[in-house]
Amino acid sequence: MDYLLDTISYLINGASVSLRIFFVTLLFSLPAGILLSMFYRFSPFLNKLVSAYTWLFRGTPLMLQLFFFMYGLPAMGIPVDRMMVAYIAFIINYAAYFTEVIRAGIESLPKDQYESAQMMGASDVTIYRHIIMPQAIRIQLPVITNEIITLIKDTALVTVIAISDIMRNVKEVVSRDFTISPFVLAAIFYLMMSYLIIKVARYIEKKYDYIENTA
Amino acid sequence: MKKILGLSLMILMSFVFVGCQSNTINTWDEIEERGYFIVGLDDTFAPMGFRDDAGELTGFDVDLAKEVSERLGVEVRFQPIDWDAKVLELNGGSIDMIWNGLTITDARKEEMIFSNPYIANTQMVMIKSGSDIDLLSDLANRTVGVQVSSASEEVVVANDISSDLEELLKYDTYNLALLELENGSIDAVVIDEIMGRYIMSLKPDVYDVASENFGAEEYGVGFRLESTSIRDQINATLIEMINDGTAGEISQLWFGEDIFFS
Repeated sequence: MDYLLDTISYLINGASVSLRIFFVTLLFSLPAGILLSMFYRFSPFLNKLVSAYTWLFRGTPLMLQLFFFMYGLPAMGIPVDRMMVAYIAFIINYAAYFTEVIRAGIESLPKDQYESAQMMGASDVTIYRHIIMPQAIRIQLPVITNEIITLIKDTALVTVIAISDIMRNVKEVVSRDFTISPFVLAAIFYLMMSYLIIKVARYIEKKYDYIENTA
Repeated sequence: MKKILGLSLMILMSFVFVGCQSNTINTWDEIEERGYFIVGLDDTFAPMGFRDDAGELTGFDVDLAKEVSERLGVEVRFQPIDWDAKVLELNGGSIDMIWNGLTITDARKEEMIFSNPYIANTQMVMIKSGSDIDLLSDLANRTVGVQVSSASEEVVVANDISSDLEELLKYDTYNLALLELENGSIDAVVIDEIMGRYIMSLKPDVYDVASENFGAEEYGVGFRLESTSIRDQINATLIEMINDGTAGEISQLWFGEDIFFS
């Protein structure tokens, strides 16, 4: 019985690491993505800068980015903290995706909305805050949900920088005891998390149903 | 239409699963019939099994396995595996044996059978040169790295010092752990002496060894619990090679001395 409890608490430890990375990443990368997506239209310079950023971080594997931050920075004389590396790599990577997802939402809106608001004397801040962004984000909610579900599964990548998340701990128990059942527990964990994400997303979609299109 | 679609899908699936079913081989006769045996190894574990500059598999254990296969008249195939999943690979039948500086431990004896031990090893504490770590007790409040599911991990966890460590980090490969040791991200790496000394000979002045270690142990080749006849065949050939000096020559090549048990 002790053995079972030990194993379960070991897996829970791993799960809590996965959840920490998930929530911290979501908390910072989504707002960052919303902010950066607006930069596209502010000035040609910012446009170039943001395009370069999303190209760099969408264009390289997240695993490579983790390696770079964990092993590249110390080689250049910059000391790093392991969990911090995980947070930063995930935030930068996911912010790049969110930026492009929300930009797609902004560009799907007809330009005359912006022009009409400007004619009425609304400032850029007011237009984006009250007209463009609420619609852009709402339109892209299903896509954002998709990204968030990918995020919870991507957290398993942190094992490459020796962080013991749920996948690492599950694999250890499997190789120690030769039973496949921990894999099932891991699957249940990920499924439960994505179920929660989907439920919350559906709730938000219904609540902010400006165009009353939700099935 | 839907029914036909569902039915064809089911047939397709059954083919996929039948195709996946591997024939686990447990007797030497079956190996001879098939014409080859498959050695599973971690291809980052120098000097036992690793890749040279051209990407070719090489190493002490690789040379030994090749010599054994030649003597037995069957081909040897090497299958790089995730060290974490070695028992799964073995029992799944995708490899016939693990031959890669595999330490014989009590825990592993429950999952596989071993050949006779062929060389000795210790679990040493590797540090950055200039570090003040010398005894195991010096590891208190330090960050220590090991390869995941390795014998090193087992001895560290079994030692009382493990509860005093700042953190025990588990890496996919030793290369990453040593990289972090060199970077100063961690304080020590517990590693097989065979591998540690080899790395130190390649990178002199970077690393050092603490004077106290985690104890002696022996390497053997691991097989599935049911594969006794394969084990016996490989074992006999290995003993023959040690006795006629061929194994000693391979050892000279890699370590500059004969380190085999006689």
